[in-house]
Amino acid sequence: MTNTNSPVLEMQNVDKHFGGVHAINDFSVKIERGKIHGLIGPNGAGKTTIFNNITGIYAPDSGKIFFMENDITKTTPHKVAQLGIGRTFQNIRLFSNLSVVDNVIIASNMDAKYNMPQAIFKTAKYKKLEAYLREEAMDLLGFVGLSDKANERASSLPYGHQRKLEIARAMALKPKLLLLDEPAAGMNAEESLDLVQFVKEIKSHFDITILMIEHHMDVVTNLCDHCTVLNFGKTIAVGTPAEIKSNPEVIKAYLGGDE
Amino acid sequence: MLLQQLITGISVGGIFALLATGYSLIYSLLDFSNWSHGEFAMVGAYVAIVFSNLLGLPFLVAAAAGVAGGAAISFLCERTTYRRIRSNGAPNMFLMIAAMGLSNVLQQAANLIFSGQYRSYAFRLPVTTIQIGNSYIGVLDIISLCITAVVLVLLIYIINKTKFGLNVRAIASNSYAARVLGVRVDRTIAMVFLLAGSLAGVAGVLYGMKYNVFPTMGNVGLKAFIASVIGGLGSVPGAIVGAVLLGIIETLVSAYISSSLRDFFSFALLIVLLLVKPSGLFGVDVQDKA
Amino acid sequence: MIELFSQINGAVSSFFQINTYLQGVIIMMCINIIAVLGMSVLTGFTRLFSFGNAGFMSIGAYTAAILTVQFKVNFIFAIIAGALFAGFIAYLLGSITLKLKGDYFLITCLGFGECVRVLFNYMKGTTGGSAGYPGIPPYSTMLFCVICTVLAFFIAWRFIHSKYGRNLTSIRENEMAAEAVGINAFRFKRMSFTFSAIYAGWAGALYAGYLMYIVPNSFNLAKSCELITTTVIGGLGSLTGSVFGAIIVTVLPEAFRALANYRMLLYGLAVILIIMFRPSGLYGYKEFSLKRFIKGIINLPQNAKLFWERITGKNKIKANKGDNGND
Repeated sequence: MTNTNSPVLEMQNVDKHFGGVHAINDFSVKIERGKIHGLIGPNGAGKTTIFNNITGIYAPDSGKIFFMENDITKTTPHKVAQLGIGRTFQNIRLFSNLSVVDNVIIASNMDAKYNMPQAIFKTAKYKKLEAYLREEAMDLLGFVGLSDKANERASSLPYGHQRKLEIARAMALKPKLLLLDEPAAGMNAEESLDLVQFVKEIKSHFDITILMIEHHMDVVTNLCDHCTVLNFGKTIAVGTPAEIKSNPEVIKAYLGGDE
Repeated sequence: MLLQQLITGISVGGIFALLATGYSLIYSLLDFSNWSHGEFAMVGAYVAIVFSNLLGLPFLVAAAAGVAGGAAISFLCERTTYRRIRSNGAPNMFLMIAAMGLSNVLQQAANLIFSGQYRSYAFRLPVTTIQIGNSYIGVLDIISLCITAVVLVLLIYIINKTKFGLNVRAIASNSYAARVLGVRVDRTIAMVFLLAGSLAGVAGVLYGMKYNVFPTMGNVGLKAFIASVIGGLGSVPGAIVGAVLLGIIETLVSAYISSSLRDFFSFALLIVLLLVKPSGLFGVDVQDKA
Repeated sequence: MIELFSQINGAVSSFFQINTYLQGVIIMMCINIIAVLGMSVLTGFTRLFSFGNAGFMSIGAYTAAILTVQFKVNFIFAIIAGALFAGFIAYLLGSITLKLKGDYFLITCLGFGECVRVLFNYMKGTTGGSAGYPGIPPYSTMLFCVICTVLAFFIAWRFIHSKYGRNLTSIRENEMAAEAVGINAFRFKRMSFTFSAIYAGWAGALYAGYLMYIVPNSFNLAKSCELITTTVIGGLGSLTGSVFGAIIVTVLPEAFRALANYRMLLYGLAVILIIMFRPSGLYGYKEFSLKRFIKGIINLPQNAKLFWERITGKNKIKANKGDNGND
């Protein structure tokens, strides 16, 4: 079936317009298994639009998207998640009024294989499954260092912890590909260093592939194997972080050319 | 006969339109349907009753007071309730629930103050008809139609040609950007409530002239809500088209099929239309941004 | 069967010395609780808003009435049929309307409720039209209604505290995030909608058996509004709150006769104030717990101070945090 050489995610010539705005222009990428791929570019370059196209929030106007060799171009968001793509959001989207542990348990809803009568009569199977889900969620919280906060309301956590919780929630899906949308946004140098360590740990522990949007160049340099640089929806450079940094096009886009 | 029905339909539709545009204006700014809008019309109609029947003032003065009453209650609701809920950052559903509460309160208050009795203006209304061919057309319908047309043209002028209208459109398209660019958002919203309220006041007085004034007359707001949904929530021209369409359909169904099935047809039309065109005739699809 | 129930009911009520009037109040209370529990699952836990639940009540009521009177069906089966039929209709309606955006869904619910009422008024042959449908056997005895209510609460509680309830709540909290963890929002919204319609139908069927005579206009828009109002008063996102809400709303006007005229006015005011100051309800998305209640009583002065600060807005940041919206 899926041979180890085939890319986890492949996007072919994806195009997306919003009214007159060409949000993504002929975007292609291949992400190899076990790699961390960075998506960088100034605000409004179309990075989040790419995430939304992958996760099915909206379908591209043209082009194809494959995940583990399945065509997911027109797949709905929950199906994409069920296939094994977890994501976080640029402006954190937690289930704010629920407890930290419930946030994680909800994400494992696919593993809750019981039916309505079993839930209403609390059968042995139900109890066993629920206990198992809670245990797994607690393990995951332990891994991200939030076990002591398990019963607090998600919205009461400090910002950095909310980011971690959102990642933990995505991991509860047991995804094969994790999409991180600006995980270091709003963090200072020390916090983003912490985050780099955290993402590395997640990657090695769960053996997953990561596609991330990031602005902080130091985070990108420390984490990514490959990068794609976007500007106004167009790909302007591809390569390792070191190659990207010395690319004149990139420098122009970031420092502002005279167009 | 058909001509007569059409004129009646358009004139009823005109009253719906006065309210429906109010729904649309407020929806375009706040993304919520102001459920109590019909009650603003009811308040306007009762203010006019107080001025004309109790104080014995000339009808034009009473009508003007009615319009002002509609505007005042609308403004008051925004200032005391909606603004506070918005500042809590609450989801739009809470605004709707509060609007439902306001609608209950206003209706019940009217019921307690004025009793459930049907009232009509002490002013002698022109109830004569004019004959065109073999149709008889009510003078009152024509007057109501003319007033509505003038008011709606004025409204469209305000929205499209004035500075205030520009601010309204700016907030409708992106309230955050508008605020950054120096539009006084809360003030503009309050003024839109004043404007929508006065339109409701006009509708209330016209409705009271054509039918009667009673505490539950605000339920006409429901029809206007349907009209604005048919036209596409948030679109002022859509609301007018939807309202006229609904007015004509209701009149024709009452005349040719069955008056007891009138509401059934309106709602069925609405549901069918939404299935074909999920955001109404003139609505725009807004995509949620992640 | 009905005789058996009414005999036991008679024995129970004479043992507890509950007179006919009080029995009536308890029956109405039970009917309201069941309908409000359905509304609570829909509005409090899924954040969907329906002005059509009175329509589902009327479907349940007429189904049970026609089955018992015309087809001599056992009342328990008639009630189940009424509830399930209402649920079935909701499933169909939800399938086509739940894909619509918020307010559009709402207006179709409202339209549906009104359509049902107008149709039942119009179909004189089967429903008796506006003259009403008489001769329904008096199966809704106090005892039976209390049993139904306990059962309804039990099922709703287990439903909400399983993955089903969790998934609904995640949609309430953030639909896009719920989809991103593999929850089919449309499917669960439809489940919630169907659930609430089944409860509405159940309540309607009991209502028919209590009054023995039903007219379409008892299930009008005002009735739907009353259900929402009660749910909000009880507290969004709390099943126990919904039960208290339904009890308060039924008992208060009976206890204070003078208040009866001002009833809807007061409820309306209560709704506005709750939404303005304490939108997540009296319990703030929490279920009633005896332990917390006792704790609250002990710390009463301090809590009163906190509450006052919340109302006057001095404690604004804290107050806002809990009730923030999605966008």
